[in-house]
Amino acid sequence: MKRNILTLIVGAVLVVIFALLLFVFQVRQSETAVVTTFGKPVRDITEPGAYFKWPWPIQKVYKYDGRVQNFQDKFAETLTADYNNLITTVYVGWKISDAGEFLRKFPGDPDVSIPNAQEKLENILRSANIAAVGSNALSAFVNADPKQLKFDKIENEIEQTVTNQLSTNDWGVSIEFLGFKKIEMPQSVTQTVFDRMKSEREEIIKGYQSQGDAEAQNIRSTAERQAAETIANARAEATQITAAGEAEAAKTLPIFQQNPELAKYLLRIAALQQSLDQKTTLILDERTPPFDLFSHLPTNAPGTNP
Amino acid sequence: MSDDHEHHHHAHETPAPETQDAGSQALGEALRSSFAIVKIVMALMVAAFFCSGFFQVGPSEKAIILRFGKPVGAGQKALLNSGLHWSFPYPIDEVVRIPFTEIQKVTSDNGWYFTTPEQELSGEELPAGPSLNPAIDGYVITADRNIIHTRATLSYHIEDPIRYVFGFTNAAGTVRNILDESVLYTAAHFKVDDALSDQDEFQEAVQQRAADLADQAQLGIAIDNCNIQNIPPRQLADVFTQVTTSRENSHNTVILAQTHANNTLLQAGAQSNAIVNEAESARTNYVSSVIADAKRFSDLLPEYESNRDLFVETTLLPVMGEALTNVQSTWLEPTTGGGTKIENRLMLNRVLPEPKPAANP
Repeated sequence: MKRNILTLIVGAVLVVIFALLLFVFQVRQSETAVVTTFGKPVRDITEPGAYFKWPWPIQKVYKYDGRVQNFQDKFAETLTADYNNLITTVYVGWKISDAGEFLRKFPGDPDVSIPNAQEKLENILRSANIAAVGSNALSAFVNADPKQLKFDKIENEIEQTVTNQLSTNDWGVSIEFLGFKKIEMPQSVTQTVFDRMKSEREEIIKGYQSQGDAEAQNIRSTAERQAAETIANARAEATQITAAGEAEAAKTLPIFQQNPELAKYLLRIAALQQSLDQKTTLILDERTPPFDLFSHLPTNAPGTNP
Repeated sequence: MSDDHEHHHHAHETPAPETQDAGSQALGEALRSSFAIVKIVMALMVAAFFCSGFFQVGPSEKAIILRFGKPVGAGQKALLNSGLHWSFPYPIDEVVRIPFTEIQKVTSDNGWYFTTPEQELSGEELPAGPSLNPAIDGYVITADRNIIHTRATLSYHIEDPIRYVFGFTNAAGTVRNILDESVLYTAAHFKVDDALSDQDEFQEAVQQRAADLADQAQLGIAIDNCNIQNIPPRQLADVFTQVTTSRENSHNTVILAQTHANNTLLQAGAQSNAIVNEAESARTNYVSSVIADAKRFSDLLPEYESNRDLFVETTLLPVMGEALTNVQSTWLEPTTGGGTKIENRLMLNRVLPEPKPAANP
C-alpha cells in the first residue's frame, strides 16, 4: 500500500508540473504581453506575474519588451521659416503601450516586428521634425531673450505631431519623451559664421582698447584738474595769508608816522645794505664820506699821480 | 523520484529467494551496490537543486529577485547588496544583476570637435580645418549665433533601481540623450561671451535642465553633479585669446592711470601745503620784522630828534664801511674844478673775446 501512495503522489506531482508548463506563463517586470486565441488578440497583460492560458494551438502568448527604448533619427537638413539651413537630429523615448494594438499593426515575431516599427517611426519622426523646423525662424531656436526662444515649444510640437500620428494609426506605441540631440549648420555656413565671429571679436578688441584709453585719459585729466584746483586754492590761501600779514604790519604805521623822515632814512639804509651785498663796482665822488678824508692827503692830490 | 521508487521495490525483492545460484547472487550484489550509488547521486541532485538557489552578488553590482516576473520588495528594498543570497530556482525566481557603482557617469561630446582620447592625451589632434563638418565635428550654437565647442559630464546615482532597470532598455543612453539636449538648450540661452566666461552658470543651467528632463522621463535617478568645458572654435582660438589680452591690457592701462592720478593728487597736495606753509612763514617773518623795525624806530626816534646830523653820521658811516668791504672794487673820481671832464671806459663784458681767425691780414 505504501508503495502505491508514493507512486500516486509522484505521478500527481508530475501531472501538475506538466499542466503548469502547458497552462501557465510568466510575464516579467519589463515585459508586456498579449494572449491570442486562434491568432486573435484577446487579452493584454501589462502587470508582471504568472498568468493562465489555454495551451497551444488554442492560445498563444506574444511577449514584448515593455521598456522605454531609445531611438534617434538620422540628421535631416531643413530650411527654417527665415531660410536658414539647419541640420537637426531628434531623439525619442518610445515604448509599446498596447501590446494587442501593436500586434495587430505589426504582426509576427517581436524580433521582426520591432525593427519594422522603428523604421516606420523614423519616417514619422523625420517628417514631424522637418515640419516643425520649417515653421519656425532660427531666432526661435537660439535667442538670448527667453521670451523669443521657443526651444521647448518646438520640441513639444514635434512630439505632439508624432503622438497624434501614432494614435490615429493605432500603433499601440507611446512617445515618452522627445528632444533635440543635435542642431547644426551646413559645413559651408560654419565658415561664414567663423568670419563673422572673427570680425565681431576684432570689434570687441578695438572696443576694449579705446574704452581703456578713454577711461585712463579721463582718470588722468580729472586728477590733473583736481591737482590744479588744489594748487590754485593753496595760492589763494597764500595770498590771503600775505594780505593778513600786511594788514597786521600796517598796524605799526602810526609808529613810523611819528617821524616819516627818520622812517625813510632807515629804509634807505636798509636798502643800501641790501644792495651792496653782492659783487659790485662802486663809482663814487671823492667827496662822499668817508672817502672825503682822502682828498686832504697831499699824495693823493689830482695830477700828482705818476 | 521514479528511481527512488524502483530502489524500494528491489530492496524488498532481494532477500526473498535465498536458494539462488551464485550467478544470481553476484547480480544481486552488483545491483545493490549500483542502487546505493544511485541513492547518493539522488541525494546530491536534490542538494544541488536547493544549492542552485544560492548566488553571489559582487562588490560593484546589486541584484533584484523576480518571483514569477515580479520584483521582490519595492524601491531600494528590492536591491540585494554584495554577498551571498538565496532564491528559488528558475522558473519560480529569477535573479537580475545590476552593475552598480555609487556614482554613474555619462559624457556628452556631441558638441566637441572630432578627436579621440588617445589623440587628446598625446596632443596630436588633427589640425582644425576652415569649417566644421556636421557629420563628424560637433558644436553648439549660442544665443547670438556663434559656434562653440562644449563637453559635458553628468554624474548621477540611481534612486529607483526598478524603474531604472525595468523601465528602460538603455537608461544610460537615455541619460546621454537628455544631457545632449540640455547642452543644446542651455547654449541656445547663452551668449558666446557668457558661455565662455561664466562656465559655472552655464554648468548650473545644464544640470538644472538635465534634472528637469530626467524627472519628466521618470528615469529614477538623482543628478549629483555636472561638469562643463566650453571652448571657442579652434579656428578662432587666436582672436579669442586676443580679446582676453586686450581686456587685460585695457584694465592695466586704467590701473596705471589711476596710479598716476593718485601720484598727481599727492604731489599737488604736497605742493599746496608747501605754498601755504611758505606764505605762513613769510607772513610771520614779515610781521615780526615790521614789528622789530617799529620797535627800533621807537628806540631811535629820541636820538634822531635830539641831534639829527650826528645821528646820520654815526649810523651811515658804519653801514658804508660794511658795504664797502663787500664791494669788489671801488673807484674814486677826483673832484675837478673848472669843467674838465674825466672819461672812464667800462668794459662790461669781462670775458675775453675769442681770437679772430686771420681772414683780413
